[in-house]
Amino acid sequence: MDDNRRILIGATPQQASSWQALVEEFGSPLLVFDPEVLKKQYLDLLHALPGVELYYAVKAHPNTQIVQALDELESGFDVASAGEMDMLMDLKISGRRTIHTHPVKKDKEIRSALRFGATTFVVDNLDELKKLVPYRDRIGVLLRVTFRNQQAVVDLSRKFGCDAGEVAGIITAAEQLGLHIKGLSFHVGSQCNDASSHVEAIERCRQLMQEVNLSCSTPLSTLDIGGGFPADYTLSGLDIESFCAPIRKALDKLPEDIHLLAEPGRFLIAPAVISITTVTGKSSRNGIFWYYLDDGVYGSYSGQIFDHASYPLQVLREGETRRSILAGPTCDSIDVVAEDIQLPELDIGDLVIGHQMGAYTAATKTRFNLLPDASFICLA
Amino acid sequence: MKHFKETLYDAVAQEFRIDKLYFESKTDHQHLMIFHNALLGRVMTLDGIVQTTEADEFIYHEMMTHVPMFAHGSANRVLIIGGGDGGMLREVLKHPVEQVTQVEIDQAVVDMAKAYLPNHSAGAYDDPRLNLVIGDGMDFVRDSGEQFDVIISDSTDPIGPGEALFTENFYSHAKQRLTTGGILATQNGVPIFQPDELITTGKRMSPHFEDMGFYCAPVPTYYGGFMAFSWGTDNTALRHTDITTLQARIAQTALKTKYYNAAIHQACFALPQYMIDTLNKAS
Repeated sequence: MDDNRRILIGATPQQASSWQALVEEFGSPLLVFDPEVLKKQYLDLLHALPGVELYYAVKAHPNTQIVQALDELESGFDVASAGEMDMLMDLKISGRRTIHTHPVKKDKEIRSALRFGATTFVVDNLDELKKLVPYRDRIGVLLRVTFRNQQAVVDLSRKFGCDAGEVAGIITAAEQLGLHIKGLSFHVGSQCNDASSHVEAIERCRQLMQEVNLSCSTPLSTLDIGGGFPADYTLSGLDIESFCAPIRKALDKLPEDIHLLAEPGRFLIAPAVISITTVTGKSSRNGIFWYYLDDGVYGSYSGQIFDHASYPLQVLREGETRRSILAGPTCDSIDVVAEDIQLPELDIGDLVIGHQMGAYTAATKTRFNLLPDASFICLA
Repeated sequence: MKHFKETLYDAVAQEFRIDKLYFESKTDHQHLMIFHNALLGRVMTLDGIVQTTEADEFIYHEMMTHVPMFAHGSANRVLIIGGGDGGMLREVLKHPVEQVTQVEIDQAVVDMAKAYLPNHSAGAYDDPRLNLVIGDGMDFVRDSGEQFDVIISDSTDPIGPGEALFTENFYSHAKQRLTTGGILATQNGVPIFQPDELITTGKRMSPHFEDMGFYCAPVPTYYGGFMAFSWGTDNTALRHTDITTLQARIAQTALKTKYYNAAIHQACFALPQYMIDTLNKAS
């Protein structure tokens, strides 16, 4: 059962005709990006987190038009690979506006990052720190700390981060290696229901920084509060201003001269992209209607597998609903977008709209069955 | 982009206003720009780092050329590694040399510099004494059988295309390319902020020369005060060339300079105490 998924039945004539017009012009399937929505998300978050520099997590949707729209807003960028840096370089975005946040790097990756101009690196252990010694005259290092979060949908604290208890030891070791650790970073995980994990992590970091700064020659001066700002997958009207209120309160306790960063991805881009797919086949089995779409979990809906997301779906048709299944276009039986949902009977050629589909969707698509990708369309 | 912000260091960055962008290319993961700045004239940057500006290039090029050339006194054959902008070639050709071989890895850099940084080469690329080789400097010193009286390594920073020119392998092969008593000079960064580069070069280069050390000059747009140049030769007398000899040699070439002179030549081998301490601490 797909209990938590929002299903929207019917659409306004304006919505329906605009989506149909896009499919007529560009074909199907599509991912449709609205820069105005992205701009609003960015400005809303900037307003909700005053004094915090935002670095868009490029991995969420590494798309040139998305990055360009954020470039115009003077956003920073959080990069995690040479490929992402190449993309920014092609767009003439200076490495000065980026931070390299992957805690595990090959030497070649570090050198590419420096040539690109990214000089901030993240580590979470001594072995990783030692890799940076040859570049110590040029760089700044953030130490990633972990505070386990049971509540986040994707728990990033399991794979990366050192324990709070290790922080002082690693910083002392760094000083001996001639490396400058300029601050701490953490990730409470993604899609948080509330800001309690952020608040707890900020408070713990505040105490850690205070302790460390008593004994260290170069003070910790930067705090990177990561991501975790949620997308509104239930379309229940997320208010980022009030979500961030406890974070603002926690940040207020930090010294005024501390540099604050965040790495939002999902919150910024999820609502700015919708998916449009077309019903290409249908059948009725054991009283259940099966509809075969031209995009699925190996394509734009891959986030349902990798990101555990459940996107709101919308059909344009109204009427009596029946038990239905929406399946993707590949031959694999796992390629099911939504199971046991109530939909009016659809026809071949009907459109199915996926909402909040900007983050970790196309980013993780595969080439399975060599089916064509959804075309990416940017609304002017 | 209307401003260039250098990405050499995390903690500080110099920023130049781009008054007119003449050239920009992003090829092979390499980002090159030439632009005009009201204070600095034409500026060339590579991978976010200032390479040369019209306002202060003379300090760099004069000091890397004339110090080894006048110390040697009779250099006929000179090898320049890198130096695609042509500034080094321009200075070397002011000496009565028989031949200058310049090994530049990228023809595009030469073409681009001729077009957009014409004052650097100032026609030097048309000089018949030039043998321009487009190739890898490391390969050249290893594979060429030729000998040179002075070798000047005008490279980029060690992270990037110039990487091989900071290896022990390079110093050892460059030594093989020198005539008896020949001199190798290389650019070696700004020691106050790049002490590791000074230490590393000292360790890698000194085993190959009777006299290996550094001399310095301040190049303002290489932020950080004194830049260090490495100096390697088996003729230990060359660094002590007396001032009257230098003055006579300078007079003989009728050389006009803006930074270099005989007194500066002698003084540049005096290292500030922080550099001496850095080198001592490492050994």
